[in-house]
Amino acid sequence: MTKIKKMSKDEIQKIVLSALGFIALIYCYFTFFLGPLNRSRETMAKTIADTQAKTASSKTEMKKTENLERQAKEATTRYAALRATTAEGAPIAWFPPKMRNFFAAQGIDKAGVRLESSGPFKQPELTDWVRDVWTVDLPLSDYDTLGQAIAKLENTEPLLAVQKIVIRAVPEDPQFQQVSLTAQTALFAQ
Amino acid sequence: MALQLNLLHEQFSEQRQRQRDPLKLGIYALVGFGALLFLWYGWNAYQTIQIRSQLNAAQAEWEKVEPKVTAAQKRADELGKIIDSTKILDGLIDQRFYWAPLLGKLAACVAPNIQIVGFEGNASESGDAATLMIEGVSAAREPRAAAEDFRQAFSETLMKNYTEVKVAFRNLEDLDTLATLAGVPTPTAHFVLNVSFNPKPPEPGAASAETPKPEVTTK
Repeated sequence: MTKIKKMSKDEIQKIVLSALGFIALIYCYFTFFLGPLNRSRETMAKTIADTQAKTASSKTEMKKTENLERQAKEATTRYAALRATTAEGAPIAWFPPKMRNFFAAQGIDKAGVRLESSGPFKQPELTDWVRDVWTVDLPLSDYDTLGQAIAKLENTEPLLAVQKIVIRAVPEDPQFQQVSLTAQTALFAQ
Repeated sequence: MALQLNLLHEQFSEQRQRQRDPLKLGIYALVGFGALLFLWYGWNAYQTIQIRSQLNAAQAEWEKVEPKVTAAQKRADELGKIIDSTKILDGLIDQRFYWAPLLGKLAACVAPNIQIVGFEGNASESGDAATLMIEGVSAAREPRAAAEDFRQAFSETLMKNYTEVKVAFRNLEDLDTLATLAGVPTPTAHFVLNVSFNPKPPEPGAASAETPKPEVTTK
C-alpha cells in the first residue's frame, strides 16, 4: 500500500494502460489466431477420420462386390439366357408369328394368336419383366400331334406357362379337335 | 573514514525512475509474453499444416477409391437384382403345370368304347391346383359301367402322379342313340367328369399308405 501510494498518477495510468494492452493481446490472440487455428485443426482431424473410415468401408464394399460377382456367375448366366428368350421389339409383333411358325413346324397349321392382357408382375423383383397372357387357337389338330406340340412348347419355352386348355371334337370329323390354349409369358420389358 | 558525497543524486534518482517505468516494464513483459504466444502459435500452425497434408493424402486416396466404389455399389445392386429376379423366374418355371404328361395319361385311360368329345383344363397361377372338365360318350352293353370304369382308371392314374385327386361325375345319362361297336349296335351314355388335383407329386411312402389294398374274396 505504501508502495502504491508512492506511485505517481502518471505511473498508475501507465500500469492500467499496460494491463489493458495485455488483455487486448490475450483476447486477440485467442479470438483471431489460436482459436480459429484449433477449430480448423479439429475439423480437419474429424474429416480425416471420416474419410479414412469411408475409404476403409469402401474397400470392404469392393471386396464384397468381387465375392458377389463370383457367387452370382451362375445366376448371371441363367438370367442372360432367360432374357435372351425375349426377341427385339414389341411382343405383339414377334410373338404371334413365332407361335404360328412353331405349331406349323409341329404339323398344326393356321394357328391364331392374340394378346389377351399385358401388365406388370406383382413381385417387385420382376419390375423389368412384363406378364402377357395370350390365346392360341388351333382350328384343326389331332390329339397325338397336339400332345407332342404342347410337350415341345413346354420344354423349349421355359417362361411360357399354359394356364388353360380347351379341346373340342370337330363334329364333322371326330378324329380332329379344335383347341384353344391360354398361355402366360414372362417377357423382358424393353 | 572518508566522507562520500553524492553530488549526482538527482540524476541517479531520475535514472532509477526511468528504469522502473511501469509502461516500459509492461511493454517488455508484453513483448516477452507475445513472443511466447507467437512460438506457441507457430507450433500449433506447424501441427495444423501437418494435419492438412494428412487430410490431403486421405482425400486424394478417397478420390481414387470413390469412382471404383460407386461402380462397385452399382454393380452389387445390379447383381442383387439379377439374383432375385432369377430366383423368382426359376420359381415361376418350377411352378408351371405341364399339360403334355396329363394329356398322355388321359389318352392311355381312354378305352376303345369311350370317346372324349370335350376337355377343359385350368391350372392355377401358383401351380398348386388344377381342375379339368371332361365330356365324353361311353358305349357298352352297360354304358354307365363303362363310364365308371373310365372314371376309376383315370382317377387311379392321376393318384400315381398327383395329390388331392378328386374325380367325380357331374353328369351321367343314357342316350337314345346306339353306337356301332365292332359291327354291333351298342347303347351309349353321355358323361361329364369334374376333376381336381394338386400337381404336387405324392410322397413315395404316402402313396402306398393312401391307396387301399384290393380286397381278396374267396368263394
